[in-house]
Amino acid sequence: MKQATQSKQYEKINAFLIFFVIVSCQIGVGIHGFQRVIYEEAKQDAWISVVLSFILAHIVVFIMFKTLEKFDGLDIYGIQKEVFGKILGKFLNLLYVIYCTFAFFAVLKNYIEVVNTWVFPYVNARFIAIAILLIVIYAVTGGLRVIVGISFFSFFFLLWIPPVLIFPLYYSNPNFLLPIMEDWAGILRGVYLMSFTIVGFEILNIIYPYIKEKERKNANKYAQIGLLATFFLYITIMLITIMYFSGPQLERVIWATLTIFNIIEFPFVERIEIITICLWLLIVLPNLCLYLWAAYRGVSSIFKIELKKFIWIFASIIFIFTFIIRSRTEINTMNNYFGQISFYVVFVYPFLLYLFASIKKRRRKGTGDSS
Amino acid sequence: MFNKKKKNNKEQITNEQTEMQEPTKHYSKNELKQTLEILSKEEFINLIKEKINSPSDFIIKNVTDEITIVYIDNLIEVKSLTDLTIPTLQNISDPTPQTIKEKLPLAQIDISNKLDILIYELLEGAALIHTKENAEIIIAKISSYQSRGLSAPENESQVIGSQVGFNESLATNISLIRRFVTSPNLCNEKFEVGEDTITSISLIYIKGVASEEQVNTIRQRIESLDVSGLIDSAILAELIDDSSKTVFPQMLLTERPDRFCDGLLSGKIGIMMNGSSMGIVTPVAFIEFFHSKEDQNLRWQIGTMLRLLRLFAMIFSIFLTPIYVAALTYHYEIISQTLIVPLSESRAIVPFPPILEALLLELIIELLREAGSRLPTKVGQTVGIVGGIVIGTAAVEAGITSNILIIFVALSALASFTTPNYVMANIIRFLRFPIIILAGIWGFLGIMLAVCFLLIHLLRLTSLGAPYLAPLYPTRLKDLPNSLIRLPLSIISRQAVNTRKGDEESTKQKDSKKVSE
Amino acid sequence: MIKRQVLLYYLCISLLLFGCADPKILERVSLAILVGYDVEEEDKVTATVALRTVNQELQSVVSIASQTEKTSKGTRIKASLDSTKQIVAGQLRVILLGKKLAESGINEALHTTKMNSEMSSGLYFAIVDGETKPLIEKKYENISDIGQHIFYLLDHNIEEQTILSSTLHETVRDSYSPYIDMALPLLVQDEDDVHISGLAIFNGDKMVGKLVGSDPFYVVLVREKYNAGSIQLSIPGEPFKNLSDEIPDEIAMAIDSIFSKRKIELLNKDTPEFEIDVKVEGRILEIPPSITTEDPEVIKKLETEVEKKFEREISRIIKKTQELNSDVFGFGEVYKAHVGTKNVDKKKWKELYPTIKVNANVTVKLLRNGVFD
Repeated sequence: MKQATQSKQYEKINAFLIFFVIVSCQIGVGIHGFQRVIYEEAKQDAWISVVLSFILAHIVVFIMFKTLEKFDGLDIYGIQKEVFGKILGKFLNLLYVIYCTFAFFAVLKNYIEVVNTWVFPYVNARFIAIAILLIVIYAVTGGLRVIVGISFFSFFFLLWIPPVLIFPLYYSNPNFLLPIMEDWAGILRGVYLMSFTIVGFEILNIIYPYIKEKERKNANKYAQIGLLATFFLYITIMLITIMYFSGPQLERVIWATLTIFNIIEFPFVERIEIITICLWLLIVLPNLCLYLWAAYRGVSSIFKIELKKFIWIFASIIFIFTFIIRSRTEINTMNNYFGQISFYVVFVYPFLLYLFASIKKRRRKGTGDSS
Repeated sequence: MFNKKKKNNKEQITNEQTEMQEPTKHYSKNELKQTLEILSKEEFINLIKEKINSPSDFIIKNVTDEITIVYIDNLIEVKSLTDLTIPTLQNISDPTPQTIKEKLPLAQIDISNKLDILIYELLEGAALIHTKENAEIIIAKISSYQSRGLSAPENESQVIGSQVGFNESLATNISLIRRFVTSPNLCNEKFEVGEDTITSISLIYIKGVASEEQVNTIRQRIESLDVSGLIDSAILAELIDDSSKTVFPQMLLTERPDRFCDGLLSGKIGIMMNGSSMGIVTPVAFIEFFHSKEDQNLRWQIGTMLRLLRLFAMIFSIFLTPIYVAALTYHYEIISQTLIVPLSESRAIVPFPPILEALLLELIIELLREAGSRLPTKVGQTVGIVGGIVIGTAAVEAGITSNILIIFVALSALASFTTPNYVMANIIRFLRFPIIILAGIWGFLGIMLAVCFLLIHLLRLTSLGAPYLAPLYPTRLKDLPNSLIRLPLSIISRQAVNTRKGDEESTKQKDSKKVSE
Repeated sequence: MIKRQVLLYYLCISLLLFGCADPKILERVSLAILVGYDVEEEDKVTATVALRTVNQELQSVVSIASQTEKTSKGTRIKASLDSTKQIVAGQLRVILLGKKLAESGINEALHTTKMNSEMSSGLYFAIVDGETKPLIEKKYENISDIGQHIFYLLDHNIEEQTILSSTLHETVRDSYSPYIDMALPLLVQDEDDVHISGLAIFNGDKMVGKLVGSDPFYVVLVREKYNAGSIQLSIPGEPFKNLSDEIPDEIAMAIDSIFSKRKIELLNKDTPEFEIDVKVEGRILEIPPSITTEDPEVIKKLETEVEKKFEREISRIIKKTQELNSDVFGFGEVYKAHVGTKNVDKKKWKELYPTIKVNANVTVKLLRNGVFD
């Protein structure tokens, strides 16, 4: 109840905007090079891993909504406090905040690494970090309305990708997709590795109370449609990648999507991957803003802190981290860790939370103390 | 912190403005607030003279022994004074204020013994008639106001549509508006603002169509204005804007009565000010600055095409030169094989890096435009030709710039002039400069940083508490047919962007404003 | 509040001042258009670069720089010492490899090229029958810009499908794939010209032979779909002798507007046996006047003869590649698609390829001739 009053009336968003939030959250830096990691495990069946991981995501989102609907008007921080008690709840909230911070940092660092590799090898990564952080700060201080607005507009900056993907089809070889379903274990490992790429929808846990009350029951529908939209983008890119590269070649390509874009030529413009990378700033921005905002919601559920103050502290911490993790190998290690953590936080934890939440609810009903 | 003028908005709104014959007290200085007693002719004249600092154009006319008229030269209509007032007064046998008021063949006559009212009316152009043995003074309102005739709107000209524009007289303008909108629901609230200028402001809206919330907000903002003088409605608009830190205007200035009335009909609020030929229309969305009244007068297919063309021109105008700078400074890889030879050949002997070259040329174009707009029309044209052709050709031949950049800069300047709104066109040209600098520093990444910043900035802006980027975001499906595009009239909803009356939305947005303060 | 804002502006300005990227202003760099690699003794590689720069007379001029070094990147850095402007590779269009280098293996050259994000995946690879250095350095009478010339030469031939496409991407793709071998365009230097003589075929990363004349046409026919091909061929005149006395023994004819579809099927997994189904549609462009093409019977006969010719040629070329153990047609991909990646690896396929049996099955349909029968 406290949370519901905290999420002010004016900041409430329409349910259909959840679609844009989901799409912009899920499409971030992962899409540049997710193919290689999954291909290494699942080989030419990597696309099956994508399908399976999205089916899993649909189920997870469904469970998330079930949990959230049980405690109408609470976000995950409120639910954790309610289910696990004040102290344990606050501790879990802190962990969730750390997860959001980690996610923020991973997205930022990976994006800067791409920029450094492809576009500006001589620009110091820290300057790019400061510039992006300043933009993020400016956005987040505008409130949720502005953040969702960025997600909304960034979606339209994605729309040019599917038509452009027709070009690489010229170089593709459908034989590379065969034989189908060779190694199930590899496919499942691929599903696990896909988690780093498609996380982002866990933001639903925090944004849910901000959906207009009247439309909340539709939110699940829009979230699922959003997942479907990203699924189509990911599966298209995956299929084209497998057909475009030969296997051992793909295993050595770090950013397969960008390498595909590399070959596309227009009469006036070539090498559109350079433009894509710069344009990607706007695609990455909603990711960063939402994670920062989610972290703020979490911290403010633990102790009182002003938004502006928190953002500056947060940005400084992130900035300090950029000094620690610098080389490609360090980034890869970080990505591996983040992949594992995110799998448990996003794909496993919601089931546990749902379990605990239903136990708690049932017990309450038993004692007649319904909320 | 964002809004200085709202500091004393607790003041209650009363209805007195609507009947408005008497000017309200708070415009006058306290020392003037005195009631006259019975004064002799000399005493009266001296008092008035003293209060208005005995100007040279103060004229005293003794009609009879009992009746004296004082007025300020050039502010009154001499004809009605000499032909109507003086003969009538001479024939009155019993000159009391009441009889004079009855007998005088004038439309507006008042009687008052309040000094502040008398002074105010005198300065507005009334003749004060003093009668012996009476404390009350007759105010004969025979003011003459010199205003230019109605002429075609010059800044917002259009081919199809009405060819009349506002002029500087509030009365004329309101009569124009009333001729477009004859509805009895057309409300016209009068305010007087400015300690020294005492400027009349009319708040015009259609009751039942405009949102009450927004009318109240505007009313409060105008009432809490604390300025010594107001000369133009553009200044008024800046003073009552939501945010004055941004370059983007949140209120639309128009000199077209048809556009003004179109706004009123769709639920917007209009503000007219005496002495200014521009009406303010609010709330407006960003998109509406790229609309022209003509889009609606043409068929929808053509209207849509024109609107899209303008939007394209805006994007083109902002980003063309920065893209040139970014591509030539950092991203030579993206230039295609066929283009790279002419580009590098044209730049071969240019001594500056692309960023300086672009800034220089943009500056020259701005100079030409500014010189052209400050000079009389005929000379302005000459400047354009001299600048455009002579300087351009000479600059290329001297090797200071490349001819391809000249084309780009000229094109983007041309594109910026397609924006129907002068204020917005200026902003578009202004925006180029920071983006060029960013492009010169970080290439396309710099341009993208600028795009992100602009997008966030526009998302944060509000107009009268309503989001600036509506109906795109927050998406209002009902308004979309009349935003980026223009669909047939049967599809377009009458209610305009951002003016949901009685809708919970506007209430919420208002809340948001209050909270953000 | 004001203090914080000042701090923020300060931050922004310092960002602008210190964060400035490293510019590569278009007219102040030398654009490498064409690079040729030749192998020297002791593992050293000579790189010859055709550079395009702009001079003060507003003309772009082409200069040649050459350097011997161990890695290609090193060559580039060394070469820039000799040039007045920084050499950049972002506009590189063609990489030429000398025959000697190709025969000793091109993997290293491919890898270093691919690793550099500056280069486009769309640049072309080609093998020079001989050395690249003389080819690039020679002053040709009719060629002002050797880089552009070779690029357009390859580009338009690839567009018209007279040779296989050899973009960096496709070359790397084939070189990394265990189930297909590369076939790159082969350039030859003439008296005063450069032209394409055929395809250089590889076993692994080593060049083992070449296909010249009209052979590349059949390779493309088996590997790709034709959208607008053309071929000159001669068929035996024997079956047409009854038409007229003037029929020569060899009928030379040309077919263009060729549309083709092909399908490769694996018939037998254990002793690999493939069937190639090729459907060709085309237009007769040239034929001796004595053959009357308005007669449907004659057309039918022509079609049969062309089919036979195609089948013969395809079988002959496959034989040849089997001898060289160079699977340029990609039968391995088809085989892998059927038996799975686990049952066949590079080594096994290399052992299998010389033993496979291929039945070529061509259907030709001659749709029309010109405007005059």
